Amino acid sequence: MSQLRLLPLVVAVALALPAHADDDILQKVLVAGSRASQLGVADAASVGSVGQKQLEARTVYRPGELLEATPGLVVSQHSGEGKANQFYLRGFNLDHGTDLKTTVDDMPVNQRSHAHGQGWTDLNFLIPELAGRLDYKKGPYSAQDGDFASAGVAAITYANRLPQNLATVTVGQNGYARAAVTGSPELGPGSLLYALEVLHNDGPFVHPDDYQKINGVLRWSEGYANNGYAITAMAYHGAWNATDQVPRRAVDGGQLNRFDTLDPSDGGSAHRYSLSGVWRRTTSDSASKVSAYVIRNQLDLYSNFTYYLDDPVNGDQFSQPDRRVTSGLNASHTWHAHLNGMTSDVSVGVQLQNDNIFNGLYSTRARTPLSTTRADHVVESSAGVWIENRTRWSQWLRTTAGLRANSYRFRVKSDLAANTGAARDHLASPSFGVALGPWRDTELYVNAGSGFHSNDARGVLTTIDPKSGDAVGSVPGLVRSRGMEVGLRSEIVPGLQTALSLYRLDFDSELTFVGDAGTTEAGRPSRRTGIELSNYFKPIGAFKWLSVDVDAAFARARYRDVALEGERIPGAVEGVGQVAVTVDPGGPWSGALRLRYFGPRPLIEDNSVRSKASLTLNGRLSWKLNRSTKLELEGFNLTNRRDSAIDYLYESRLKNETAPVADVHFHPIESRSARVTLVKNW
Amino acid sequence: MMVALRRLALVALLSCAGHALAHQFHVGFVDISFNARTGSLEVVHTYHTDDVDALLGNLYQRQFDLSAPEDQAVLRKYVEKQFWINGADGKRLPLTWVGVTVGPETVVVLQEIENTPLARAAVIHDNVLSDFLADQTNTVNINQTVDGKNSVRTLAFSRQATEQAVK
Repeated sequence: MSQLRLLPLVVAVALALPAHADDDILQKVLVAGSRASQLGVADAASVGSVGQKQLEARTVYRPGELLEATPGLVVSQHSGEGKANQFYLRGFNLDHGTDLKTTVDDMPVNQRSHAHGQGWTDLNFLIPELAGRLDYKKGPYSAQDGDFASAGVAAITYANRLPQNLATVTVGQNGYARAAVTGSPELGPGSLLYALEVLHNDGPFVHPDDYQKINGVLRWSEGYANNGYAITAMAYHGAWNATDQVPRRAVDGGQLNRFDTLDPSDGGSAHRYSLSGVWRRTTSDSASKVSAYVIRNQLDLYSNFTYYLDDPVNGDQFSQPDRRVTSGLNASHTWHAHLNGMTSDVSVGVQLQNDNIFNGLYSTRARTPLSTTRADHVVESSAGVWIENRTRWSQWLRTTAGLRANSYRFRVKSDLAANTGAARDHLASPSFGVALGPWRDTELYVNAGSGFHSNDARGVLTTIDPKSGDAVGSVPGLVRSRGMEVGLRSEIVPGLQTALSLYRLDFDSELTFVGDAGTTEAGRPSRRTGIELSNYFKPIGAFKWLSVDVDAAFARARYRDVALEGERIPGAVEGVGQVAVTVDPGGPWSGALRLRYFGPRPLIEDNSVRSKASLTLNGRLSWKLNRSTKLELEGFNLTNRRDSAIDYLYESRLKNETAPVADVHFHPIESRSARVTLVKNW
Repeated sequence: MMVALRRLALVALLSCAGHALAHQFHVGFVDISFNARTGSLEVVHTYHTDDVDALLGNLYQRQFDLSAPEDQAVLRKYVEKQFWINGADGKRLPLTWVGVTVGPETVVVLQEIENTPLARAAVIHDNVLSDFLADQTNTVNINQTVDGKNSVRTLAFSRQATEQAVK
């Protein structure tokens, strides 16, 4: 036998063995989310990762809808396109992002103590072509996530490098036009990623949104994501007119087109500039990561939700300017150890954040200031330290245990001396999880944890309602949530990834800052129980050109105390679902269809008024002209349903009305529209 | 033969030991041989699929499907940047990309240099995966046929040794 004939055998022996069989925990540290399968890796059934290809295949009307790749998450818009989206998850109406922590490249997107809504999540700066991955978690089961993470976490990672340069031009109905160019040339020892996007959209509205956006990213990176660094600058500017929600009585009575507005001067503008850096060092037995950021955000927002209720002469339009500098640092270190067939990670981390905010609430008429309701300078500082252990005790048993301590300082200098002051709050949040996998392709999970959201600093320190002059009680800075979940993940059917979760989430108090009134409402304690099923089916073999998503989620949300008004939580979504079919036979044609069901919501505590469900069918047809050129046709709301994107029940008054009227106010989903995109790669 | 058997035993032992020390064991193999029928110098790379996945994931922050031609281009770009063979004049020999096959355990990359006998290869540069994994070792086997007898010359490449003479 010659050495030559032995060699293939040596190679086969060396490479056929599962050299990484026990290395999943480290792999998670090294390349979090790079695996298609979460079996043997994930801490909970409700944790997942969506890759670039799945993200690219989604038909999104607006960039925030990219987050809908998270099963059970619905993203909508109830105003002009430049405004932060409305989010729904796990039986929550998350408003503009409260209780959904969103990050882009480790930078927080949620803005705390925001003029319009706590945790304001404006994702209009997101450039989908740069998104390499979306990692999601649901429920407060991770020590690594603090504020706003109770319902879930969505983390988007931008790529350092792109496989190819890209230029894309889109034109569509309703004044839609978009052009973007991206690339990542190798320059010397590193890579320079660039992206520039311009966009215009009117929407189907009688008074066009005239949303104008310019958006750019520049990043220098060296090395690998796990052993290297990147420095990123981003800039976004948007300006728009808004069609806010309209009263149903005016539409039903024929006074108002359902796409019309009652105050055409509503709208706003937003700027976002950021400079951020991330550095990571990974060895075979440790991993370190440090990221830091400075973000400058500015918003001018003019809204009128009640028309002539408060001011029959000038109308109720108000403005909520907010300008802030958010700076922060995240650092973590993981030690990795192998002990007698076990593997164990110990991770520690610190998260520091400071927000220097000037915001206010003003009465306006056609964007001209009339009076000041309140004007504040808020400095909000927080520190979170966490420790987490993840241990693989055997091939079928893993545990996660973590503890997080959070400290907040709220300082408010208000135009009203009574509402000026400082306060602190602290909170510790433990979390624990077990993953059991005695079977080859199925795992069971049990998770429990505590989370929180911060309240608006102004609400924490407000003693006098600036609008009514009444004394109000102060609210706590931090509000605890408690969650528990049992889950199952299975890949027993080849090509089918199924996850099932049964969860419960309690909040001590549904505290919300009512930005539109300038006060905090101390809400009642709540409980949500729900079940979520998500399926991703990508057959192997002859049908590998097909992939199917089927997700369904149902939630029961109730106040936990007894009150005459009822126990329903207004706006809490009861059921969501989606069915998506993607076909890519590998030839020039590919396509996708996606049906989204956004279930009914009670609009009042006694459940006497409810919103209807909405159903949206979107589709995409793609034709590769050659290896580098692609033409895409996208269709939105293909069945042209006249559903609501959001419904509210409250009192308003039209100009010709003599008394306030309690009514449903709604914002319609966009009518059927089409867009054509030309994509060129090189 | 004894040498080869010893190597086989060692590799097998390392692989089994690797079950406990898996993350410390990263290897790749490159087989270089002259195909007398085609007159080409053939280069066959074999790497762990997990390692290649991790490499591309950390380079591009996304997943790739290496069975798709457009995704193979990123691996090609990387391998061509990290592996080359110089002639005696110091110039790179024209390695062309033949293809890649991906299995659950291994990724096999095929390259060739047309109309080139082994004698023209003077220096090999191999930094594949070793720029990414500090302990990556690539074993390059150069298969020669001298006077009708097969012999193998083995070179070991690592982050510390990325360039070696063939002879």
